[in-house]
Amino acid sequence: MKFTLPALAAAAAMTAMPVMAQDLVLSIGSRGYGPAVERNIERYTAENPGVSIEWNKVSDVPGETRKLYVTGLTAKSPTPDIYAVDVIWAGEFAQRGWLQPLNGLLDADTIAAFNPSLLDAATVDDEVHALPLYADGIHFFYRTDLLEKYGLAVPQTWEEVLAASQTILDGEGNPQLYGFVSMWAKIEGLFMNWLAFTNANGGGFYDAEGNIAVNSPANIAATQFMVDLLHEHRMAPDSILNARPDDARTLFQQGRAAFLMVQDFVHAPLSADNSPVAGKFDFTRVPYFEGHEDANSTTMGGWFLGINPNSENKEAAADFLASFTAQEQQLAAAVEDNRAPTIPAVYEDPSMGSNEVLAKFGANYDFGVVRPSANSGSKYPRVSEIMQLEITNALHQQKTVEEALNDAQAQLEALMAE
Amino acid sequence: MTSMISPLDRRRHLTGMAFITPTMLVIIAILVYPILQSIVLSFGQSSIDGSEPYQFVGLKHYAALAGNDRFWNALWVTLLFTGLSIPLELAMGIGLAVLMNEHFRFKGIARLAVLFPWALPTALNTLMWRWMYNTDYGLFNAAALQSGLVDRPINWLGDETLAMMSMVIVAVWKTSSFMALIILAGLQSIPRELYEAGRMDGMTRWQEFREITLPLLKGPILVALIVRSMDALRTFELPFNLTDGGPVTATESLSLYAYKVIFDFIEFNYGAAIVVVQFLVIFAMSLLYILTLRNKD
Repeated sequence: MKFTLPALAAAAAMTAMPVMAQDLVLSIGSRGYGPAVERNIERYTAENPGVSIEWNKVSDVPGETRKLYVTGLTAKSPTPDIYAVDVIWAGEFAQRGWLQPLNGLLDADTIAAFNPSLLDAATVDDEVHALPLYADGIHFFYRTDLLEKYGLAVPQTWEEVLAASQTILDGEGNPQLYGFVSMWAKIEGLFMNWLAFTNANGGGFYDAEGNIAVNSPANIAATQFMVDLLHEHRMAPDSILNARPDDARTLFQQGRAAFLMVQDFVHAPLSADNSPVAGKFDFTRVPYFEGHEDANSTTMGGWFLGINPNSENKEAAADFLASFTAQEQQLAAAVEDNRAPTIPAVYEDPSMGSNEVLAKFGANYDFGVVRPSANSGSKYPRVSEIMQLEITNALHQQKTVEEALNDAQAQLEALMAE
Repeated sequence: MTSMISPLDRRRHLTGMAFITPTMLVIIAILVYPILQSIVLSFGQSSIDGSEPYQFVGLKHYAALAGNDRFWNALWVTLLFTGLSIPLELAMGIGLAVLMNEHFRFKGIARLAVLFPWALPTALNTLMWRWMYNTDYGLFNAAALQSGLVDRPINWLGDETLAMMSMVIVAVWKTSSFMALIILAGLQSIPRELYEAGRMDGMTRWQEFREITLPLLKGPILVALIVRSMDALRTFELPFNLTDGGPVTATESLSLYAYKVIFDFIEFNYGAAIVVVQFLVIFAMSLLYILTLRNKD
């Protein structure tokens, strides 16, 4: 994180032209929102010559970026002025006073344009603390050429995935080829994976009454399937246990996996001109277990943009924020880069129909499931850590699935009682 | 006794004080203050930004640590890592030092090459090794697969035992040269006459090493051991960059666990308690070494 000296900034502002020059620092990764970030900065600074925007390109691995923010925000650093917030932190950061309430800075109509359920994630004490920039979810990518070669239909259930994978691996006889890859390193993405698998089996983090029930029979069965996928069926590489989203994407892109389960952003690199699998892959909804075709198995994510309460240019930051997330910018990001809009009105624009990829992403979001971050508030990082650790214990066969999930349940209950 | 100090002595004394005061102030500010602050934090409950006042809670955090399996695991991992890597580093270090002390062609280049791993930042070294250990693209698996030793890639960093072993290898590779440097300095201070006398008495090379070299190297070896043990007990960049403490928590050192508690869970007080325990472990280890060193003298 860059720390500009406040004095230096003030001096620069005073010596500037008749219009007060404003230096804003924007902190967001380069992958998540793709080329739309650069485009927005260029457009905005062209329209507002008095404003300069420095783009602090942070890591696209949320856990790493989070540590960076925690350090800076704890120290009350005035930079960055505007920063991207993962949907799972929005409530926690707002609670901790790390996000500037926007109600006084932006007019009510601007805020009201956004999807209300997304706004909820960043609303604390009836005040909106960040604006949703885009939504995403995990999808199931597959190699169309391999399915065709073996006369296989696109698998809809995990049982079919397993069978298709075995047919392909047997047929190809290539030790370098794997069936399924995903992000099973001990990261947030692993918890997202687990939610996808368990919800696909009619389970999930909560039971029907809304109580935490991670050790339910449906969850145990789904988690056992994950373990068996790796250890019994040998469908996934051992390295899946170290894989982050881009590691999994790289294997798939190099033609070394038939199936891949990660978020939206991989679509762009996979379909790039120089990608070995360009034109040979497609994607569908996250599979479900037999008998659960209505399961909400698309684990959702998304990113918000918020303002640092210690920023010295909050007004300017708010103006840029409103412009960055405005309807026409979202439409451009949707049509050109497949980024899912957070303003419902964007979906009604006729030009949206031209983007089939985004339409398919949208169809998958209909089966969306969110992580338990809103209910956990500032305890969410520990909730996620408990789940990541115990799922990892099961996947590494350090514990049986039942032991791991029972332990998780006990730790979660203790945490919530604190 | 004070009356016996002459004005000249007093002036000299004051001059001395004046010279060391700035340094002492800096040390107090950047070293003593944070240590005291950590100790204070570990006995209380406070919000990180000072919005809630500090509340003394006594041994609450330490009691919680005593019942925290993950803390005990981190302590064990730290001690295991230190216990495995230090003896190997020492053996390698002595070997390298003895080699570098010999006369041979390109000795300068060889010395430089030995120092190279130590001169590079740990984080950089570690990322390089992480690529070599990579299951799908790494050097080691490429070699193992192509030579037909294995038919399925080995998940070096994904297996509990292999991950710890891999971490120890990186540490030994990196810091043996540091040990070697200190021991080499010791070797060069051993008078040649001793070896000449030994040769006259018909000592073999091994006897020379056992009877002359090793006993005279005790001082430098102990210094190297203290510095390296303190380093190993604090290890952070290595597991952070190589394994992130995994698989599960098999390589999660105390420093890494404290870091996660403080920066992921934002529990500064609990994290401070972990740091204080770590401080005590290092302190005890150093005391042990220093006492040993004193006895030998």
